[in-house]
Amino acid sequence: MRGGVAGAAAGVLVASAVLAGCGAPAERVAPGPSAPMPVLAVVAEDTAPKQDLRLVPPEVYMRTYLRVFGGLAPLDVQKRARGADGAALFDTWDDYVSALGFPDYRTDVPRQTQTNALMVATFERLGVALCDRALEHDLKAPKGGALPPLDARLVFAFDLPADDVDGPGFASRFDVLHRTFLGYPADRAPTQRTARFFELYRDIVAGHAKAAPRSRFSPVEAGWAAVCYGLVRHPEFHLY
Amino acid sequence: MRPILRAALVAVVVVSPAATLALDVAGADPVRVAGAARTLDDYRHFRTASIDLLGRMPTRDEVAAFERPDFDMDRWIDAQLGGPAYVERLTRITMDALRLEPNVNFTNAPSELYRHDVLGPDGKPVAVFYRENQRRERPETDGEFCLSPDETGVVVRPRQADVGTPKKVTQKLFDAHTVLVKPWWLYRDFRTKDPQQLYGAAWKEPDPQFRPVESLLHDADGKPIPAVRICREEAATRDAGHVYASGRTKAPPKDAKLPGGRVRPPPLDRPYATQHQGEPVACDTRLGLDLAPDCGCGAGLERCVPSDANNGGGAAFYYPNHMPLGPGLPLDDVRQQAQRWFPYWWSREVVRYLGDLFENDRDFREVLTGKRTLVNGPLAQFYRTIQRGNCCGPEATFGMLQESEPLFDPRSVPADLEPHDVSTWKAVEDRGPHAAGILTMPMFLEKYASARARAAAVYNDFLCKSFVAEAQQLTPSTEPNLMVRPGCKTCHATLEPMAAYFARVEPGNFVFLPQDRFPVHTGACKLDKNGKMSGACTALYDPAFADAKGATLRSAYGSPEHADATPAGLAREVTRMPEFASCAVQRVTSSFLGRPTTEDDRALLDGLTDAFVRSGFHMKVLVRGIVRSDAYRRSNNLASSDWRGGGP
Repeated sequence: MRGGVAGAAAGVLVASAVLAGCGAPAERVAPGPSAPMPVLAVVAEDTAPKQDLRLVPPEVYMRTYLRVFGGLAPLDVQKRARGADGAALFDTWDDYVSALGFPDYRTDVPRQTQTNALMVATFERLGVALCDRALEHDLKAPKGGALPPLDARLVFAFDLPADDVDGPGFASRFDVLHRTFLGYPADRAPTQRTARFFELYRDIVAGHAKAAPRSRFSPVEAGWAAVCYGLVRHPEFHLY
Repeated sequence: MRPILRAALVAVVVVSPAATLALDVAGADPVRVAGAARTLDDYRHFRTASIDLLGRMPTRDEVAAFERPDFDMDRWIDAQLGGPAYVERLTRITMDALRLEPNVNFTNAPSELYRHDVLGPDGKPVAVFYRENQRRERPETDGEFCLSPDETGVVVRPRQADVGTPKKVTQKLFDAHTVLVKPWWLYRDFRTKDPQQLYGAAWKEPDPQFRPVESLLHDADGKPIPAVRICREEAATRDAGHVYASGRTKAPPKDAKLPGGRVRPPPLDRPYATQHQGEPVACDTRLGLDLAPDCGCGAGLERCVPSDANNGGGAAFYYPNHMPLGPGLPLDDVRQQAQRWFPYWWSREVVRYLGDLFENDRDFREVLTGKRTLVNGPLAQFYRTIQRGNCCGPEATFGMLQESEPLFDPRSVPADLEPHDVSTWKAVEDRGPHAAGILTMPMFLEKYASARARAAAVYNDFLCKSFVAEAQQLTPSTEPNLMVRPGCKTCHATLEPMAAYFARVEPGNFVFLPQDRFPVHTGACKLDKNGKMSGACTALYDPAFADAKGATLRSAYGSPEHADATPAGLAREVTRMPEFASCAVQRVTSSFLGRPTTEDDRALLDGLTDAFVRSGFHMKVLVRGIVRSDAYRRSNNLASSDWRGGGP
């Protein structure tokens, strides 16, 4: 019953609307402003075609990694990186091989040509293992032993000064690492790379001095390890 | 536009940091003086070229050498061409396209040994090797394990669980039906009358890549195994046996008591066996296993491959699953199934073949047309004996009892390569008249198992073309000719004639079907009144292209001429096409530029293709041209985030 009343009312409304529409004047689009829009700001637009940097092939990454690790075979690197100290720095190559972007011809998985989250995480894990083990080899003398000569060091081919390192002292040592990982002198690097890494180094040294629990690295060692992490994970290391 | 922008970017990148650094380390870095003549662009180019040609980033020493005034980049590039990293790089480009690694198991019945433990006289397990379906003259064991269920207490079947309760086998039975053999996987001198050079003992310094699993080397107590016990028939060493007819032509009644407690009746004589009883048969063929009890695994069991179990998953050797840097730098070390042993080496054959092509800068067309190859010990064993066991099944109906024109002629195999000479590779200059580069290698033929898959792989990988179906509604059709069927013909008008080149290579296999026994059109196979063909005919001839008068060889209907031209004909045709050279150039250029090539690269590609063809299809000319090009120098362009002064 109620529905019938409502339906009748709706019919009247529709009819009224149709009649009103027929009698209304045609809508018109208002013209735009006669004056040009005011310029609030100018932003340069780069329309040149861009070529993204390409990902270093995983074979190159691995061969470089092995070479920096002392020219060892993969299974030897795996053994040394895993170590016996329970640091869990490294799993096995088999755990990393697909994440690094290697193709798997057997299952028609193509090589990956772009990074992804898992790949970046793997780069980080491998990089940390490399830096830590290299630091132990290069800068931490075994009990009763001596440090290896500079030309036998894997990554840190410099001596640490007795006192805290200053800007020039940092720069010359940073250049060694920069050449090792990125293949050119640090002073050719874009932006204030050396200064920023020096800032990173000092922050880590300062933070590590008051860290608890104590690390197996001294504050200075931790500082250089952090610099190494920064370079081995740098986009320029993985791209070319 | 791009070069101008590039120059501007370089200026920003080089000048800006130097000014900043002056605040921190002015005059403190001697390196800057040494490298002052090199721009960042120069360094990046050197690093890029090192990555592409050395296969790794440059060392500090190499960067220092690059900084010297007398460093000659062009000379350095030339020095890298032909080096191992260059070879590996070009091989990788080709393998990325072809993906020729095995995800297949391979075995054929004549070569596959199973191992089963039975209880010895003292109650201890004794491992006995045997082959499935081995013919034996005893009806109790003909086509089965050489000791009957009545003698062992159990029904022994490959890939099946034992049925029954084991009981001790007497020494007399062992002596009667099994023998001890010193096999090839245990003895380096297995061909001698009394081998002495046992693996791990007198066999000094075995090939480090030849590593049998422990279970083949040591018994359950950890003691070295000096010899293996194997069924007597399998131990036969002769090359030719004799067709055996048992006289059994009718199956026994269902309730009949079977001899020796066996659970299935002994095999019946085939008509062929009855007709050819006593005639010689080659022991390394399928027919030898099926018909001749006096055919076995040959001297030192060379014609057979062991596994350490009674199932298909038995292991045999260690080798890596992953070795992206080559076999000398494996990432793992895995106990592998026996059935993967030969596929593993098939893949290595392709890599070696490509490596030889690039290292010696051979004519790249040989990738499809070459007659030669390189083989090592396992491949020599495979081509010498194992591959012959693939033949002949349905082919026997057409009178081919052993492969008459194999793709790899066993007589071409170097005689001095033993199965365990894993690291020794020798060139075979001519595999045989039907050889055609990688197209007739087992890895290609197994990876791409059908004629169409093989043709499509060539079309994609060597002509850089794809089959793209037109967008149209497919209508139901019974037209078997896909070259005319609506909706199919777009691709198949091209694909079927190409596939026909592979009609003479058995699908999923590599048995060659010679023209004299397998004409494209034969009257020996035809449809019967019910529209059916016999099983043997159907295996090789296509019922869809048959009538009451004859039938057409499978995959040949697209072009009978191509079928007779064989894969070698396809190789000749494809390498004559202009797309072959342009595809190779495009693929290599794209890899070195690190991006797909576009129409903007047309001038570069045309120039490179012209030089590549004029050189006689030599890759060094192509790669040298790429690496020296401006496009390559610019390929390591800076991302916008870099030149805007992004992160550290």
